[in-house]
Amino acid sequence: MRHRLTFLFVSFLASTCLFAQEPAVPGAWPQAAASGALQASNVLNPNVSAIGWFQAEAGHRKPGPGDAADDGDSFQMKEVELGFQSIVDSWARADFFVSVSREEVDLEEGTLTWFRLPFDLALKVGKFKANFGRFNRIHTPETPFADRPLVQQNYLGDEGLNGSGVSLSWHVPNPWLFVNLDAEAISAPREDENPTFGRAGQKDIVYVGRLGGFTDLSEAWNVTFGASAALGHAGEEVDEISGSTTTLRSRLYGADLTFRWKNIRRAIYRSFAWSTEALWSRRDATVADVEDSHGFFSTMDYQFAQRWHTGVRYDYSQFPNDGRRHEEGHLVYLTYAPSEFSQLSLQGRQVRRADGELEDLMFLKSTFNVGPHGAHPF
Amino acid sequence: MKRHGILSFLAMTLLSASAFAAPLKIMTTTEDLAAIAREVAGDHAEIQSIARGYQDPHFVDAKPSYLLKLKRADLLIVVGLELEVGWLPSLLTNARNPKILPGSPGFLQASEGCKVLQRRDGAIDRSMGDIHSEGNPHYWLDPENGRVIARHVAAKLAALDPANATDYQTRLAAFEEKLTAREKEWTTIAEGFKGVKVITYHNSFPNFARAFNINVVNTVEPKPGIPPSPGHVRALLAQIRAEKIPLILVEPYFDDKLSAKIARDAGATLLTFPPSVGGSPAVKTYFDLFDVDLNMIADALAKRGGK
Repeated sequence: MRHRLTFLFVSFLASTCLFAQEPAVPGAWPQAAASGALQASNVLNPNVSAIGWFQAEAGHRKPGPGDAADDGDSFQMKEVELGFQSIVDSWARADFFVSVSREEVDLEEGTLTWFRLPFDLALKVGKFKANFGRFNRIHTPETPFADRPLVQQNYLGDEGLNGSGVSLSWHVPNPWLFVNLDAEAISAPREDENPTFGRAGQKDIVYVGRLGGFTDLSEAWNVTFGASAALGHAGEEVDEISGSTTTLRSRLYGADLTFRWKNIRRAIYRSFAWSTEALWSRRDATVADVEDSHGFFSTMDYQFAQRWHTGVRYDYSQFPNDGRRHEEGHLVYLTYAPSEFSQLSLQGRQVRRADGELEDLMFLKSTFNVGPHGAHPF
Repeated sequence: MKRHGILSFLAMTLLSASAFAAPLKIMTTTEDLAAIAREVAGDHAEIQSIARGYQDPHFVDAKPSYLLKLKRADLLIVVGLELEVGWLPSLLTNARNPKILPGSPGFLQASEGCKVLQRRDGAIDRSMGDIHSEGNPHYWLDPENGRVIARHVAAKLAALDPANATDYQTRLAAFEEKLTAREKEWTTIAEGFKGVKVITYHNSFPNFARAFNINVVNTVEPKPGIPPSPGHVRALLAQIRAEKIPLILVEPYFDDKLSAKIARDAGATLLTFPPSVGGSPAVKTYFDLFDVDLNMIADALAKRGGK
């Protein structure tokens, strides 16, 4: 049996070699094909990038409901995010982001975007982070923080609200300011993937929309604002007596506001950003009972020298299935970036959990980037 | 009679409409390209630049307000050579304007045919700083490259707006004639300080130095985009003293505190030196750029000589 397997393996290798030497076109020179002289040059390869995220942590974790996935080790190579980005053809581009962590290899995003459509439209299909608020779309290694804000964690989960689906984006024509409307439909996440939405059936869909705007207030100041909504199912309730099932619904509404300042005459030395996102949840706890809850975070970042940033964040969050209790937290950080491609950030976070317990943690977050990782949304 | 009157009125309306056709909308990534395009296009185009002349063109925020301008543009002119690599691709992807995408008739990379210096043929990596593998992108600082850019712009405008092709050619000829005359004046000014040694903050001036026989012997940044270390500052001080380097040129968007201290300690003169149109209030046209920069060097050296 072993001999047969070996023979099969050797035959397979031999046939692959033979096949490789076979000219692709009858009459073509096999040497040229083998030497690669007729291959397209590397310039048509996609842009390949990798972002490493290492983190050291000190303190005792007292995990909240949204923290279950965090392991809390002293040293954590949290993940490597691999990016492959390229123009596909005359009409579309593709972007793939794969995260490799200790637990899993996960396709974070994989999208095909048609950006040459008429009427100021763009259409995206694939797996992506939903356009709910601003923060949800940012991959954690690229945020200034060692964690995700409590409200994001509690309502949108570790990886944010994401899924496979379709996204249509429209630049709303008007002469005054930039306005964009996004309408998305994604397959509903499973209940263990997302704290707000679940499935009543396999074909369940979460509908997401965001109306966002941007305007310059002056050469240095600008403001970004948006209103979002996500509608889907929370799961289903089974009547134990009749055996009938009723679908439970979940509705999430969000608002975001970001002010930025940067003197463009000294753009690489000083900048300031103040960003706030709030969300409100209406979730059917049972057929007869709706749970209302909310939360928000507000953060300021000040770049005080070419390579230095400092910032603070305040978190307040209730829970999708419990609007009577809340937790709140504070985070401060000091970040040094030797270049645009690496940074080291010392962070301290205190969270008062819903049961009144205090959790104090220190983080040292290090991210490092090789390759031309594409820019993230402004 | 009445019918003839209506017909002539319609004909007049149509004729006047074509005579006053909407001007082309041109976006450029830098003010230098906008200035050259204005010379060639005259009143036939509305021209705006994304980056300001006093802004570091490597670091521009890809603000959505630029999308509003890009989506209405008929022509986009870019510097290329990876100068805009950090911000232009995302703007182009989101502008929803197929006319100005690379490969489309409304896209022009101005570097084609220009004398580009410092191309890197060997292996490069980021330990070398912000290296541009395709060559130094500050090529507009050679007036002969300005001539090449103007020719490209004229050809592109003629293709996009054939009705005014003759006018673009006339304006191009006038620009070239003026450039030739001014180059003689600039060369005369530069003869006065031929071979002068200077230190620049960033590696922005190789084309300018080559065009006017200026010797850039070092940069305040040890590598492009990397702030100077104390060791590099000590080396600069020693070099300025040993080689009696008279000038340090700092682009207007860099903090000049450290450069000023180096100049003070080593006995050099610091000049805030615009590399672009709009880099100082006096530089309003492409011709002003060389007038101001060359006279600035000549005046500074004259003052030092008079000490």
